[in-house]
Amino acid sequence: MSDKNKKIPYDEDNYTHNINRNNERKLDRRGFMKTLVGAAGVFAVSSLPWGTLAAKELMGLGDKEYKHKKITDVKSIAIGDAVDFAFPGEHDSAILIRLSENHYVAYQNACTHLRCPVFWDKKEEEMICPCHHGKFDVKTGTPIAGPPRRPLPEIQVKVDKGAVYAVRVKRYEA
Amino acid sequence: MKRSYVGVALLCAILMLNIIFTQYMVHQYFFENYKNTIIAAAVNVILFPVAIYIYKRDKKQDKGMKNHE
Ligand code: FES
Repeated sequence: MSDKNKKIPYDEDNYTHNINRNNERKLDRRGFMKTLVGAAGVFAVSSLPWGTLAAKELMGLGDKEYKHKKITDVKSIAIGDAVDFAFPGEHDSAILIRLSENHYVAYQNACTHLRCPVFWDKKEEEMICPCHHGKFDVKTGTPIAGPPRRPLPEIQVKVDKGAVYAVRVKRYEA
Repeated sequence: MKRSYVGVALLCAILMLNIIFTQYMVHQYFFENYKNTIIAAAVNVILFPVAIYIYKRDKKQDKGMKNHE
């Protein structure tokens, strides 16, 4: 291919010889195919971290128990109120809502759409994501309006000696 | 149209599959169906050599054609 390019096709008094682009189409197609192969490569490489993360999750830390963590005292949260906390890691922000005397619910409050923090709207009795007005059912964490499609991960809580503890993150039922 | 566009079509199909499986993979990950995540990731990885194979095959065919010209 390379020596073909070096050849001068006609005597140089022909100023239109470069209109002759017979082979250009072929190069186009070849280049396009190369791009497609490259894209497949990018997809392949970018799948790897997901695969490894999933594998890690499958082995071992599957349904992991975290250290129980005290969220708040029962005294300091009134019925219908919510407190923010972090569980299990310090960057996994979560929200605890006291629905009635003995009924608490807690969710990881990163919106399942694009991870904005979901907050508790006491008046409307629903959890609202301010970013795109996603709404979640407070009893189950299922999305009821807006872009989110997955439920919020629920956190099991338990009340012990006048304090509320986070126990573990519930798995989705497959 | 002398040239065959089968290779291009196949590669486009592969790209489409890549997109589908990538989306599936991410969703399954957040749904915590990790097995499905791994399967989708594996498919994505396998599609790459397949794409290379298609490309190589096309190149070879092209050369064969040139010799006949
Ligand atoms: S991030 Fe919550 S609705 Fe978009």
